[in-house]
Amino acid sequence: MFMLSKPDSALIIVGHGSTLNPDSSAPTFEHAEAIIQRGIFGEVHCAFWKEEPSFRQVLHCVERRDVYVVPNFISEGYFTRTVIPRELGLHGPVTRVGRHVVKYCEPVGSHMKMTELLLHRAATIAPGVPPENTTLFIVGHGTNLNDNSALAAKREVERIAAAGQYAEVLSAYMEEAPLISDWATLASQPNVVVVPFFIADGLHSYEDIPVLLGIASESPGAASAGAASVFAGNPYRLRDHTLYYASSIGTEPGFADVIMDQVSAFDSTAR
Amino acid sequence: MNRELLSAFTRWLDNGPRSIGQIAISRVGDFWELRHVEDRGGELKTHTRWQDARILANTTDAGVFRPIKTTRDLRHGWRLVLSSIENVCRALDYFYPAMLGLWNADARGELIVTDLRDTLARQTGMYRVTQKITDEQAQALIGRQCSTCQKTMLWRIDPAQPITSLPPEKHLRSSGGAFPLLCREGCNLLVGLARGVVKDAEKAATMDQPQ
Repeated sequence: MFMLSKPDSALIIVGHGSTLNPDSSAPTFEHAEAIIQRGIFGEVHCAFWKEEPSFRQVLHCVERRDVYVVPNFISEGYFTRTVIPRELGLHGPVTRVGRHVVKYCEPVGSHMKMTELLLHRAATIAPGVPPENTTLFIVGHGTNLNDNSALAAKREVERIAAAGQYAEVLSAYMEEAPLISDWATLASQPNVVVVPFFIADGLHSYEDIPVLLGIASESPGAASAGAASVFAGNPYRLRDHTLYYASSIGTEPGFADVIMDQVSAFDSTAR
Repeated sequence: MNRELLSAFTRWLDNGPRSIGQIAISRVGDFWELRHVEDRGGELKTHTRWQDARILANTTDAGVFRPIKTTRDLRHGWRLVLSSIENVCRALDYFYPAMLGLWNADARGELIVTDLRDTLARQTGMYRVTQKITDEQAQALIGRQCSTCQKTMLWRIDPAQPITSLPPEKHLRSSGGAFPLLCREGCNLLVGLARGVVKDAEKAATMDQPQ
């Protein structure tokens, strides 16, 4: 097996972050901690749009000249194409920024391994539940400005459906049709597994989607780690189905491997 | 790990008990101990993983999330015992993100400072509207928001206009042995609040117009 070794390179994992709760940045930090423990890169840093270290601070902290930037985002879109390049001063796949040579990798969500991670998450949340009697929902946001997360969710649905494991695989969204709130009429199978296709847990996965599913009532205030109790209630028996609700896909520890794969993929393409 | 930073930080740390922001760092036998500067005694919960610093830094004593980690509201009641300076640096990167890196960049003469007008000029999408903030509105916002932060502010509104809504010492680099926490550009929390100021002003102007 090929082992990535980059002692003379730095890795920067960039995420969105939040000014309201720590859940948004937590998986990015956890993936970075896992990569640090493996000792693969000379340096590992995180940077965020809404938290510190910010995109504008992080290069000041990097010693290595050779720098890989991997966006911890679900899809190509406004952040990966506009905000991150602008804030880091990038003009293409490879940019000289001060004394650094920055290599801009693909976002994690576009990696082929996403399909495998979604299947793993679905199997873990509903152990022993036969996929041949199960509808699997991959839930995206939808209608975001310049955001292709809906396209990314559709792509994953096609890949999972092609594997033929689940009786039915559907994409659904919070703000565009097909709406996740219609899950019970959309699903033809007795078992239903719902996996949010988001990079982190937070307001959407803790509150918004559970409310739309009918497994939680609306609560005021920002989401917090305490809201994770929604996952402890599995399975939910309602509307003639048995429903299993998973946390966001971005909390899968396997994302650390995907981040490193995106670095390898960059090197393969650049060769 | 940034080796050059580690070496510079080791030299700084070698000169006795130190403090960074609200954190006291001292040598205890073969270990390094970090704790809140105000926690001089009493019951402290001991942590031994550098990763725990992220959780400790996340919330105030009241459990409120701290989006900017350099505000003066670090929680009390803990001690973090670490076995190496590398891990002290990693923990401090959670307590005070980017502050060691900016300190090192400053020492190398590589710190880039960006004035507020330049920060706002490059905003796109929902934050483009922040370019409409007036100098007076910006001064008032900075006076309210940045006074809660421990960082030394290096930037201005623009080259001709310094920040006048904060005490002069807010712009002075610390002298003596204190570790400088440097602010090289308005943070995105401030940019977000600037959007709110502009939007509120526009709303108020619309309501003032005769029907």
